[in-house]
Amino acid sequence: MKELSLHILDIIQNSITAKSSFIKIKIIEDLVNDTYCIEIEDDGIGMDEELLKKVLDPFVTTRTTRKVGLGLPLFQASAIQCDGSFEIRSKLGTGTFVRAMFRHSHIDRPPLGNMADTIITCIMANSSIDYFYEHYFKNNKFIFNTREVKEKIEELPITDLSVINWLKEYIKESLCVLVKT
Amino acid sequence: MYKIEKLIENLQLEIVSKNIDITDMNMSGVYIGDLLSWVMGNIKPGDAWITIQTHVNIVAVAALGDASCIIIPENAEIDESTIQKSEEQDIPIFRSNLTAYELACKISRLVDKK
Repeated sequence: MKELSLHILDIIQNSITAKSSFIKIKIIEDLVNDTYCIEIEDDGIGMDEELLKKVLDPFVTTRTTRKVGLGLPLFQASAIQCDGSFEIRSKLGTGTFVRAMFRHSHIDRPPLGNMADTIITCIMANSSIDYFYEHYFKNNKFIFNTREVKEKIEELPITDLSVINWLKEYIKESLCVLVKT
Repeated sequence: MYKIEKLIENLQLEIVSKNIDITDMNMSGVYIGDLLSWVMGNIKPGDAWITIQTHVNIVAVAALGDASCIIIPENAEIDESTIQKSEEQDIPIFRSNLTAYELACKISRLVDKK
């Protein structure tokens, strides 16, 4: 994929399919150790060991289990190509955890892309799911939590156009500020 | 439609997946791309696909997109698992010392002549 955010969106779609109610996205940009780490954790139905073994095999997944697709193998290949690593853990009934590590300065590392749009797309896809997005850059962090947003806006639905537009700008600007510091 | 056998002969391609019978195989066009997700969305059935990627995922992408064959340019190293999978899936892999651009130019001349 051209952008890391597209991989993230793809993984979150798996989480949504797996009936998650809370999805955590964590990005850690560590310039000292030159790593770019992306973690996605959900509380969905999870996978048994047999399926877990298969999800990184593009053939088994594209042929028999529609809901997984080629997303995980492509994300894995992208990370490994950038001197990184890939890890997936899952437990039936508990949830799934995915971590992709890239070398931050690797010339083939895709840019992050538009995280504001990614988060908004996820909220619109299913507004009853809560998202917790934390992004670390050097010693600074940005945290976005839909639970907090929902508390603040009270009766207004989070998918209300005025809320969505405000959130999109808010995430976009906060990330701009984060990487400038 | 252009016969794959003729393509190999004219471009002097190295046959990497040896256990595939290519006698009746044809290609209808050519697609060049290395970003697998992009190729998945844009390759057309029957295309010969030229890519510098050699990971086993290319066979999955070729299978999904119904590519007729995969051509690896610039003599790039190919994973053994990729070759095995291509034989299992009946999608032949060929290799050339030419660049993707040079291959495309030559194929264009061949197909036009016909």
